[in-house]
Amino acid sequence: MAKLLDKQRYKCALAAMQTVQAIERALPILHSGPGCAQKLSDTNGSSGYFSPNIFPCTSINEKDVVFGGVKKLNSTIENALKVVDADLYVVLTGCIPEIVGDDTAEVVSRFKEAEKPVLYAPTAGFKGNNYIGHEQVVGAIIDQYLKKSDKKQKGLVNIWADVPYQDLFWHGNLREIENLVSELGLTPNTIFGYQRGLENIKKIPEAEYNILVSPWVGLKNVKKMEKKFGIPYLHCKTLPIGATETSKFLREVAAFTGVDSALAESVIKKHEDYYYYLIERYADLFLENRVINKQFTVVADAQYTLAITKFLVNDLGLVPAKQFITDDTPKQYRQAIEEEFKKLNFGLTADVEFETDGFKIHEEIKKHDYHGYPLVLGGYYEKELTEDLKGNFLNISWPVQSKVVFNSYYAGYNGGIRLIEDIYTVAVQRFN
Amino acid sequence: MSYKIAVGSSDGVNIDLKFGQIEKFLIFEIDENIVLKEERFFDLSRETDCNAGCGGGGCSGRGGGCSGPEEVSAKVELIKDCRAIVAKKIGFQAQKQLEKRAIAVFDVEYTIEEALTKISNYYSKIDKGEKFVRV
Repeated sequence: MAKLLDKQRYKCALAAMQTVQAIERALPILHSGPGCAQKLSDTNGSSGYFSPNIFPCTSINEKDVVFGGVKKLNSTIENALKVVDADLYVVLTGCIPEIVGDDTAEVVSRFKEAEKPVLYAPTAGFKGNNYIGHEQVVGAIIDQYLKKSDKKQKGLVNIWADVPYQDLFWHGNLREIENLVSELGLTPNTIFGYQRGLENIKKIPEAEYNILVSPWVGLKNVKKMEKKFGIPYLHCKTLPIGATETSKFLREVAAFTGVDSALAESVIKKHEDYYYYLIERYADLFLENRVINKQFTVVADAQYTLAITKFLVNDLGLVPAKQFITDDTPKQYRQAIEEEFKKLNFGLTADVEFETDGFKIHEEIKKHDYHGYPLVLGGYYEKELTEDLKGNFLNISWPVQSKVVFNSYYAGYNGGIRLIEDIYTVAVQRFN
Repeated sequence: MSYKIAVGSSDGVNIDLKFGQIEKFLIFEIDENIVLKEERFFDLSRETDCNAGCGGGGCSGRGGGCSGPEEVSAKVELIKDCRAIVAKKIGFQAQKQLEKRAIAVFDVEYTIEEALTKISNYYSKIDKGEKFVRV
């Protein structure tokens, strides 16, 4: 029977248009009904040279359902190539054309000889959510645009992380991971955000390694690249936030890429010294035990629920209540992610539930005894709930209404400090 | 349940008339079969002078038959009991007025047989709440 999903935290696969948009000068062409791009866009940094309101769209209607939308798609691509100056065009399909059976792949293949690359990613809503859609777009680039390279660049490392725009901190996080990796003497290569774009996409096959920083998103992609380009990958399940995880991350990357461990340790020491210098200066704040909550809950996608749980336990010494993963993680990845919640310091483990229904999540939070007021890090949906429980709330996952993020980030040592700042900014307001 | 579809055709075989050019709507009834039920005439000569320009009331497509807003309304009125209209081209103004009457617009160039088979196949599926896949 059909079920209602209350307060869902993701969008349909077509929202992968945001993944395309995150590639500089790449343009999504939508083969969908009118209004899809409008509905799927957020005001979280999505304007610019291209924005969802101008994405070319076939705007298919009932006539195209009955008689086929192929002609319209052909002319839309043809004209987009003529009038929109982009480096890369990615045709994305919505649910209607895929249900009724338009052969989009065939139409796109007619543009093989076009001056600019035109790719196709099937992103019908029924195929999954925008986490899957993101994988489809990256997969399309690997399958349809890139070729195996005999040339390898020494020390070049592709870095993959979670979904642009869906992840509020995507841009800053990527840059910070790049910075950390380059301190190990490696050359990071990413494709999303400022001044990356097609030039960096072309470099992907020349990399020596792939590093995936995500519990599950993109795993399919790095596996595909291993097969097609012969690039081995390192899968770091936890987005490193704070000293514990970031140092672990750097050691793992160094060991995997053959970086001298003495160099890695010197980088780690430099960062940890500064990190703990800051922590030490604020020890009085941490010791003022009425300020911060005893127990916390994270309601976010697998990436942030795992990363923040580890950070709050390992670095801040808080106790995890139940944690919720809301991204509809595919079943085959769940067990490995659950295992990660058992690898916490101080012999602690965290209870985690894969739940997409906001109502059920809220019921569980209300039921739980937090031994005081709760700390909830989640989507905007949790704001009112946390207020009712007189707890502290920080908006870290989609949907985001109470935070503006330009290039701020939670990844790395500095990111950990940012997150502490954000949490304590909320906490101290309670008393001041 | 049976329903009607209006068609713009000069020869009874091909859909070759624009909405504005239609003087005679072919009205098909779709039940088990697709049957030509009647012809409804519209007197194009009664319309306003094509060269007089647009009378300020908003001008609709002028390609082929010139059709002012009044004429469009009268034409839509003539086929108001139809579920859909099939013609070679249907202007924006007319489409809006048809939509207001919940008459579906199909501006396609096919033979009548082909078009009506496709459309009736589509309606029979969605009326039963079944998934529609084009064949």
